[in-house]
Amino acid sequence: MIKAAGIAKSFGRVRAVRGVSFTVEPGQVAGLLGPNGAGKSTTIRIITGCLPADEGTVQVAGFDTRRDSLDARRSLGYLPEAAPLYPEMSVVGFLRFRARLFGITPRDRVRAIGAAMERCRIEAVRSRRVGHLSRGYRQRVGLAAALLHDPPVLVLDEPTSALDPSQVVETRELIRDLGRTRTVLVSSHVLGEVERLCSRALIIAAGTLLADGTPGELVRRHGGPVRYVVEARDEGRKAEPALRAVMGVAAVREERAEGPWRRLAVEAGTDAPDLREPMAAALAGAGVPVRELSARHASLEDVFLRLLRAADPARENAA
Amino acid sequence: MSAAAVIAGREFRSFFRLPVGWVVIALYAALTGIVFAAGTLQPGGVATMRDFFALAAWLMLPVTPAVSMRLLAEEARSGTLEALVTSPVSDAQVVLGKYLGALAFLVAVLVPTLAFVVTLWFVSDPRPEAGPIVAGYLSLLLLGGLYLAVGTLASALTSNQTLAFLLTFFFLVALLLASGTRLDFVPGWAQSAFYAVSIQRRVAEFAKGIVGLGDAVFFVSGAACFLALAWGALESRRWR
Repeated sequence: MIKAAGIAKSFGRVRAVRGVSFTVEPGQVAGLLGPNGAGKSTTIRIITGCLPADEGTVQVAGFDTRRDSLDARRSLGYLPEAAPLYPEMSVVGFLRFRARLFGITPRDRVRAIGAAMERCRIEAVRSRRVGHLSRGYRQRVGLAAALLHDPPVLVLDEPTSALDPSQVVETRELIRDLGRTRTVLVSSHVLGEVERLCSRALIIAAGTLLADGTPGELVRRHGGPVRYVVEARDEGRKAEPALRAVMGVAAVREERAEGPWRRLAVEAGTDAPDLREPMAAALAGAGVPVRELSARHASLEDVFLRLLRAADPARENAA
Repeated sequence: MSAAAVIAGREFRSFFRLPVGWVVIALYAALTGIVFAAGTLQPGGVATMRDFFALAAWLMLPVTPAVSMRLLAEEARSGTLEALVTSPVSDAQVVLGKYLGALAFLVAVLVPTLAFVVTLWFVSDPRPEAGPIVAGYLSLLLLGGLYLAVGTLASALTSNQTLAFLLTFFFLVALLLASGTRLDFVPGWAQSAFYAVSIQRRVAEFAKGIVGLGDAVFFVSGAACFLALAWGALESRRWR
């Protein structure tokens, strides 16, 4: 479990993190999402014990990162951004060093290194120098190092940033698998990454936690009303009034027209139920043939941008 | 195995995986070898290595900063320090491990010079006294240990290796000049203080084959003080 309670950190006059609180339970993969300079890295560095918070507390696997710092660090597997490694060491030499550092006994060391290499698919480069590896392989060596001591909590900073598409899919699968029994916190500024990988999203901007929930919850809570798209053969212009008459419809506007076909965007009112069935009935009643009627829910990206604009009016004006 | 020993082992081995390690060993052996051949190996001369140890001590000035400059500065620059300080290792163990690894490498730098001792042993009649030779090597280790501790502190203060080298080198030169020169313009109490911390005076004693406990304590406690400061500097990174 990771429990952050009111953590705050300033660098001089800059308030990087302002009273951020959240809890990530075992079995969850939580994504810490935010634009550059939002306070993600500072939050991650406070959680991993790299930086002390000015205010607030952090618990990792039940250990206070200040009071029981070494126990907290023993329970944590951390992959820093860009996976910094010693370039002059071999892959297996580096993993052996990390295993010794975490006090893994010689008997368990070979098994732990073998298992971590197998999970991260780096056996083929075990004897290669780290400095000679591609960025993708280095990232996977860093991930293997974070997994060596089988920690109950994993903190991964941009874990797929340097990987090619097939490696991204494999690594996401690995992280999802690890998240079944562990607490995993992934920092990313890639929305799609968090949407595909995480069961929970924490959106942070200007050092403040703006939203916390499953991607579905966030979309429902902050995504705004559902939009519907209707494409109808509407030479008599009957579709628009028929749709406006449906209870729950807030607005209808034409998106485009192609010959007799018109594409209409329908915006539902707040808290309106699913309007597809009453709209289909209204159009049938008006004698309008329909070739498409679908609901368009907001994406996490829409939620993210909406929250950022709400938090920073200047961004809204710029957009 | 303690974390400090694990870090020391990695640090020691890393010197042999990098060109800088081999260059330091080769240059030190070559320069001291020239002095040994030109100054010590003289037909009819006295079988003593005093000249060799005098130059070897001066060569510690550029060698030790070259060894210590990367200890913590490179870790900070490359980002590996973040992974190290988030491991279950205290900052004191990190500093001690780095220092011990560098000290072990300094021993490796001195090992090739044992060939000079063996050579002198076989070509001299009468053979050289063992006491001054043992004391000479002990003085180099104590001196190098102090210099490396100063370098560890400089390396903890910056993430720039060149700056760490220059800080160490000029601090050591200033220390040697201040404590080895008669400075008439400074007050008497300051002269006494400089005399008390004089490195050259102590090295000269060692070269005579005299290993004073007080002198050994001076070097060891001096190194401990600088390591404690390096520990503080590493801790302060978290607050900066």
